[in-house]
Amino acid sequence: MNRSIDKIPELCESHEDYCKKFIERIIKTNREVFILSSLLEKQMCGYDLIKDIFTKCDVFLSQGTVYPILYTLEDEGLLMAEYSKGDMRSKKYSLTPKGREIAEKDIEEFTNALLQISFLIKR
Amino acid sequence: MLKNAVNGLENLLMNEIPAGSVILVNGAEGTLKSGLVFSMLSNHIKVTGEHGLYVSLEQTKASHQQNMDSLGIKKVDGLHIFDYQDMREEWIDRELDFVKMTEEVIDFYKNKYGNLKVFALDSLNALYSLSDDVHLRNKMYHFFLSLREEGLTTFLIMESPQSRLPGQFTEWHQSERFLADGTIELGRVEGNGVVKRYIQILKMRSTRHAMEKHQIVIDENGLNILGPIY
Repeated sequence: MNRSIDKIPELCESHEDYCKKFIERIIKTNREVFILSSLLEKQMCGYDLIKDIFTKCDVFLSQGTVYPILYTLEDEGLLMAEYSKGDMRSKKYSLTPKGREIAEKDIEEFTNALLQISFLIKR
Repeated sequence: MLKNAVNGLENLLMNEIPAGSVILVNGAEGTLKSGLVFSMLSNHIKVTGEHGLYVSLEQTKASHQQNMDSLGIKKVDGLHIFDYQDMREEWIDRELDFVKMTEEVIDFYKNKYGNLKVFALDSLNALYSLSDDVHLRNKMYHFFLSLREEGLTTFLIMESPQSRLPGQFTEWHQSERFLADGTIELGRVEGNGVVKRYIQILKMRSTRHAMEKHQIVIDENGLNILGPIY
């Protein structure tokens, strides 16, 4: 393929877009890990979580995909929810001891899996 | 199994409602729409071991649950209740697409539990009042189609004024009636100073059903459908 020098910025940009799409796909199919990872840092409501992941990863997780995760994790005893003082409108979620243990394990397994994939693909 | 999901319903439905049917449950306030649908889902899941999803746009999960408890209707483990309260509070400045979100919520529970087979939305009126979308009608058409294609037996609760004449629907309700596979009407009749609640199946595709209004009552064990009202 004949590539002229003036096409390089365009190629870099498309490479970046391509990379971003892969990252977005990985995050969207592993939402739970990213939610647990954000909650390891501090307690958050659904809005804060979506904003946090967007700020860190430039990926918007829609409300209809985040709130059901929070509710089922709460039902399973991995999260606990409480209303913050003076603000009965937003329910803040934090990890229970069991949730923290599972979150740490899941994050470790997830990062190991990504490492293994990168080794496999470079072969 | 849905035809046996409420005591006495087997006298109205001669055979089973086909999987993937979209059924409108229509009636005025206080006619037990939510109670009937929740009861059908809960009892069906209890027997089949499948999973179900009840999405409430009007009440919180806790208040809906409390309401059902007060009617003697028990929730089984496989029946999941989802409400939009937190989203509505936290995203107050943003316009939310409730149809898209409901599709995402269904997808989540389907992926999580695999055998999600029954779904209820309470209510269509709330969905419309929360949506400003000019393409809502078109969206609803595709929403109905996707529910059917996924084989999810669906109950859509619709509130209508008590005063309307039987068989008459507003313009909105008219289009939904055409799209739906079935229509169950709940209402009240008054005679000799006594008010009775009734259930009537107006339409149920591929299912033989009674046409008469049957009395519906509630006791400590939940809902019971009795004989024809006249």
